[in-house]
Amino acid sequence: MFQWKKLGKVFTPQDVAGRAWLKEFAQAPATLVFDDFVRVYFSCRPPADGNGQYVSYSAYVDLDRADLFKVRHVSEQPILSLGGPGDFDEFGTYPVSVVRDGDEIRAYYAGWTRCESVPFNVAIGCANSRDGGKTFSKLGKGPVLSYSPSEPFVQSGPKIRRFNGIWYLWYIAGRKWKMVAGRAEPTYKIRMATSYDGIHWTKLNKDLIENRIEEDEAQASPDVLYASGKYHMFFCYRYSSHYRGKENGYRIGYASSANLTDWVRDDTKAGIDVSEDGWDAEMISYPHVFELDGKTYMTYLGDQVGRYGFGLAVLDGTLE
Amino acid sequence: MVSMKWKKLGKIFDPTQHGLANKCVQFAQSPQTLVFDDFVRIYFATREPDNGKYLSHVAFVDMCKNLHDVIRVSDKTVIPLGGLGCFDEHGIFPMNVVRQGDAIFGYTCGWNRRVSVSVDTAIGLAISHDDGLTFQRVGDGPVLAASLHEPCLVGDGFVKIIGNTFHIWYIFGTGWKKYDTDVPSDRIYKIGHAVSKDGIEWVKEEARQIISDRLGDDESQALPTVIEIAGRYHMFFCYRQSFDFRKTKGRGYRVGHAWSDDLCSWSRDDDNPLLEGTLGEWDCDMQCYPHVFECDGKVYLLYNGNEFGRYGFGLAELET
Repeated sequence: MFQWKKLGKVFTPQDVAGRAWLKEFAQAPATLVFDDFVRVYFSCRPPADGNGQYVSYSAYVDLDRADLFKVRHVSEQPILSLGGPGDFDEFGTYPVSVVRDGDEIRAYYAGWTRCESVPFNVAIGCANSRDGGKTFSKLGKGPVLSYSPSEPFVQSGPKIRRFNGIWYLWYIAGRKWKMVAGRAEPTYKIRMATSYDGIHWTKLNKDLIENRIEEDEAQASPDVLYASGKYHMFFCYRYSSHYRGKENGYRIGYASSANLTDWVRDDTKAGIDVSEDGWDAEMISYPHVFELDGKTYMTYLGDQVGRYGFGLAVLDGTLE
Repeated sequence: MVSMKWKKLGKIFDPTQHGLANKCVQFAQSPQTLVFDDFVRIYFATREPDNGKYLSHVAFVDMCKNLHDVIRVSDKTVIPLGGLGCFDEHGIFPMNVVRQGDAIFGYTCGWNRRVSVSVDTAIGLAISHDDGLTFQRVGDGPVLAASLHEPCLVGDGFVKIIGNTFHIWYIFGTGWKKYDTDVPSDRIYKIGHAVSKDGIEWVKEEARQIISDRLGDDESQALPTVIEIAGRYHMFFCYRQSFDFRKTKGRGYRVGHAWSDDLCSWSRDDDNPLLEGTLGEWDCDMQCYPHVFECDGKVYLLYNGNEFGRYGFGLAELET
């Protein structure tokens, strides 16, 4: 089992002033390392509207590389605008994942629309930055990954990586909408696609991670990195019903692979769970693992899926 | 070029004169044929009222080859609507059929309702192994859907197998536009093209508009149908203004035409052959949803007339 040492909560959105679009939530953290700071992208929300509905934006916070608990800067504006009427990303851009591509930074993000019979649908879009990741321009008005026969809806949670010259996109695809106490709840599975240019994608069309807790288990945040000769994936999973509390809420799982397509799940190795008390005592989710200055870190969300920010843990030893 | 002319044969099917499955009472839209040895099966989209909106269902009528006498009308469900949250949950309209060995491929245009705009659509594939009585989906999701530069409203597929290649002509939305402050947004769509080796995995030309506009940028073009006549490909489609098109005379659908010798470059020529409405008749205000096919050596055009086919479809025969 990996030994993660929790370092505490790094960023609290409620502490940020002067940004109407950043009221609460700092979800799905994803890092981009610079010479003297670490830029952490996250997704946030202004207050809900009169009907209790949210839109979501993505933004970033720059942490001091020498002291990750020191916030140096929070983006003045969202990194992406919402789409226009009828666009797939009209009501939200959440989450976002970034990767360097020469002088540019490419972002993959999930765009949210609202539907009549179910509350929402989600598709994955693509955008480019030429100013070091401060602002991004969308490559098109539509999604970069289309729905397909076995991935009918709710394509979300993109994680972009590049290994051996190939672009890899891990994401989730909705499997079914389940009616629970009169409310449509989505279940989704971890999927993968590959590309030579990051724009034209070939789907693997396969569930990467076997279910463990139930058939309708929802899996999210497939975060992959390479270390010690193999690929490691940290992700989160939850029950399909009544998952907004401690009992059925998100936990962090783990899988490994030698070839990026065949994965062996072993949650007992994950090595991080909810705390006895505090901000992450009910649930723990959206892991993102990154290496920095000889150490391996994980950012993650706590209770209410990041409503009050994200935290940081450091690995004791190496990923093996 | 040879002069071509439509000889109009009048309305041949009125859905209000027949019992239909799924509580459908009016509309026989976008007729599409499957020709058998001794009869012609004509699929159409009909409508079930649904709290002030509609659910479109696929039905068919079998007609004698004189295309006048009705043999029977389907009394069972040809293909059920999609499940909760699926792209075809709120209607299938139209469905295009093509023989592939002993099977029949049905390319559906699935409708799902949105909140900020009325709908989105995508193209699905369902296969029949009983001569087209019933169809089963290849998956819950679509085979052709929104993409980077085709952001919405992918639909109206027409498939033709030429050599070893599947061709699909279809429409893609370019976006939604608000033409007046107190009216809902209207959609604009154009005709595009994609190819496939198996009819399932498609390679789009990605937003190349293959038919030039006659009414300017805001012309909407719908339901392409293609036939080869004497070594030249002819496409029929319908086109209209993008707002105030439902009731205002002169702004609604008319039938357009284009031809191509290489399936790549299309020359628009609506006047040869020209399909005109007949004053005081069922098609005087509108002509839409054309479907061209060959039967016993003759080339026919099925199409809808006034009110988008609320009271059925008619027929014309090509004279050269």
